[in-house]
Amino acid sequence: MGEVARSGCCPPMDLFRSEPMQLVQLIIPIESAHRTVSYLGDLGLLQFKDLNADKSPFQRTYANQIKRCGEMARRLRYFKEQMLKAGVSPKYSTTPVDVNIDDLEVKLTEIESELTEMNANGEKLQRSYNELVEYKLVLQKAGEFFRSAQSRAIEQQREYESRQLGGESMETPLLQDQELLGDSSKQIKLGFLAGLVPREKSMVFERILFRATRGNVFLRQATVEDPVTDPVSGDKTEKNVFVIFYAGEKAKAKILKICEAFGANRYPFAEELGKQAQMITEVSGRLLELKTTIDAGLLHRNNLLNTIGAQFEQWDVLVRKEKSIHHILNMLSLDVTKKCLVAEGWSPIFANKQIQDALQRAALDSNSQVNAIFQVLHTRELPPTYFRTNKFTSSFQGIIDSYGVAKYQEANPTVYTVVTFPFLFAVMFGDWGHGICLLLAALYFIIREKKLSSQKLDDITEMTFGGRYVILMMALFSIYTGFIYNEFFSVPFALFAPSAYDCRDLSCRDSTTVGLIKVRDTYPFGVDPVWHGTRSELPFLNSLKMKMSILLGVAQMNLGIVMSYCNAIFFRNRVNVWFQFIPQMIFLNSLFGYLALLIIVKWSTGSQADLYHILIYMFLSPTDDLGENQLFVGQRNLQLVLLLLAVVSVPWMLVPKPFILKKQHEARHGVESYTPLESTDESLQVESNHDSHGHEEFEFSEVFVHQLIHTIEFVLGAVSNTASYLRLWALSLAHSELSSVFYEKVLLMAWGYNNVIILIVGLIVFIFATVGVLLVMETLSAFLHALRLHWVEFQNKFYEGDGYKFHPFSFSLLDDEE
Amino acid sequence: MGFLVTTLIFIVIGIIASLCTRICCNRGPSTNLFHLTLVITATICCWMMWAIVYVAQMKPLIVPILSEGE
Repeated sequence: MGEVARSGCCPPMDLFRSEPMQLVQLIIPIESAHRTVSYLGDLGLLQFKDLNADKSPFQRTYANQIKRCGEMARRLRYFKEQMLKAGVSPKYSTTPVDVNIDDLEVKLTEIESELTEMNANGEKLQRSYNELVEYKLVLQKAGEFFRSAQSRAIEQQREYESRQLGGESMETPLLQDQELLGDSSKQIKLGFLAGLVPREKSMVFERILFRATRGNVFLRQATVEDPVTDPVSGDKTEKNVFVIFYAGEKAKAKILKICEAFGANRYPFAEELGKQAQMITEVSGRLLELKTTIDAGLLHRNNLLNTIGAQFEQWDVLVRKEKSIHHILNMLSLDVTKKCLVAEGWSPIFANKQIQDALQRAALDSNSQVNAIFQVLHTRELPPTYFRTNKFTSSFQGIIDSYGVAKYQEANPTVYTVVTFPFLFAVMFGDWGHGICLLLAALYFIIREKKLSSQKLDDITEMTFGGRYVILMMALFSIYTGFIYNEFFSVPFALFAPSAYDCRDLSCRDSTTVGLIKVRDTYPFGVDPVWHGTRSELPFLNSLKMKMSILLGVAQMNLGIVMSYCNAIFFRNRVNVWFQFIPQMIFLNSLFGYLALLIIVKWSTGSQADLYHILIYMFLSPTDDLGENQLFVGQRNLQLVLLLLAVVSVPWMLVPKPFILKKQHEARHGVESYTPLESTDESLQVESNHDSHGHEEFEFSEVFVHQLIHTIEFVLGAVSNTASYLRLWALSLAHSELSSVFYEKVLLMAWGYNNVIILIVGLIVFIFATVGVLLVMETLSAFLHALRLHWVEFQNKFYEGDGYKFHPFSFSLLDDEE
Repeated sequence: MGFLVTTLIFIVIGIIASLCTRICCNRGPSTNLFHLTLVITATICCWMMWAIVYVAQMKPLIVPILSEGE
């Protein structure tokens, strides 16, 4: 199947057929395998087949290496994360690195451990720094409590003393005095704890403390104005400084537990004021010290990250390449001798020389004693589909591929889609003002192509950018059809000649009742500008556009059927020529080809005949006389013949093909069982792999039902598809009506007020409506309808689209995957 | 400018365009054929569109009737 002979029907054309492919087998000595695969990846023209499909990823030969690469990739991701946090961006340098993957692994491991250590140290330092900051706060705030408490205590003492001094009166109770004195002598030593608690928890904290100790606790809190970094979590939180006074060890244990539960950090605190001051200075000194240490650490870390950043891209590419190489190596099967690897894969025939070159270079560069062996295998498996597209055709090919990837070497609709798609779009979007706007947008993307393609774009821009050449073509055709429709933002211009119509007489009295009269030659290019705004504009344009849609549709459907002929000839399928192409052609053209003919004849003769009537009565009573609807002599006989042909072509499509297929199958089978095996044993081996494809059961009823469905689909499709082309009329009508509404109801009305502000507002509304509704939404809808006309109405005539895409192993495609 | 003259102009433009692509980007026979196909398809599409509109206006069945306001 690799070499389906190109038949002589037409010379080879780019994109019309997918590249001829072949299944190749490479036998690579194990010592040069890595380099070989690497060179093939640079080349990017070989799609490897997985020869170890039955093995799980862990059982494969190079599972360890893949794990190593995964580990390295993880390290790189870690570095990237760290760089992102530190605000270091990787530099894009193009200088290739000459780093061995093993060296790189060692290096990455070293850097990772260095970085983690640095991070751990930094974290530790930061934590103690934060702790110290909190400690300092506690010292300051709690110190204030003590100071104020002390001053109050002194005051009380003084008052008390003064009272005692002057209290040698009669009023002083005798007992109280004693009590007080006695108290001070056996005073219980109160314990206290100081610390910080998050502010939102402080109320609950207080309540719980109160309950737990049954009120035998004294709590003072002071808010800290600025949020404090919590040493444990590292988050900034608002906190309160607290001091708890309690009595007894039991209470202390309870309080400690509660503190722990609330995440309140406690700090040692001295009672004496002198000691407090000393501690504050000590803590401040240590804070300063820590700050410098942390800064030095950060600087060091940033330096390290910068050195990573300088080479990050190259390392990343290297690791990804390495991983993909081992991934491919895992797909190869190990030879029995364990000295070479066997690879199988698809490659385009034109790449043979390049692949062999790459193999030779790899053998040479790795000092291997034996060259890799390259041989072509014969198989009946269907090769992948590969089109060599460029930046212009790739987006059009993308349109086709999103419907279905072409079967191997099937006629590719892209060849015509490049023109017909933008053309049908433009039929629905005919306005050269809007076309110029689209053109400018497309040109913007094309001019900034280089810059934009390296950038990361958001989804919608990405899509527009990808289709920039499609938009360019759509814009060009829109400008053309805009001239044909004679619309510039819905305004007509008499660019090519004066209008063909004029008043009947000088007074022009009946121009609004009977209408103008044609006095000159037909307007040479496009629609006569006089039609715009007349009462008969819509009936005229409707009739024109409707008939135009049918004519264009019949032409495109005929092209589709001709494409099926190309396929039949190419694959040497005579049955399809005689029992598919010819009856289909006859059926379509005897009904709708005839309709197209009638339209043209009617236009060129100016006949008043009713085409609906003719077509309907062609079926209902074909033998009747046409009467006034007759367009040309012998029309009735022609109709009879056409009707007969159409009726005959239906069973012609349906019946013979299944029988012939059955006969062919029987003949092939009968012969096959007696022919000696002519193939060499090598191809036999391959054949045995794909045996299941060769001897398919021939189920006659299935084939017949299949053919029946096809026939019905075509016959009904001929009618419905023709009707479907009327969307061209509907959309172009909608477009021109919308644009004329915006022009007349917004711009002209604003102009009529003779007021600058209203004019400006009107202009703005007009611009937004034009851009939003006409340029964006209408473009989208016309695009979708053009898409449908191609996918359904055009491609269902010939396109199978059940192939699979060629995915070569290529380093340049690696980026897209991730 | 009748139907035939303009058709001739279209043909000439088509020929010139295909010669231009042949001269400007000559990249081997199969690519040239592809370009030729594109030019021919585009020319035929444009011609069809023009021809349809032209023929439809040759023998008018409806004439423009001006609106009352004008």
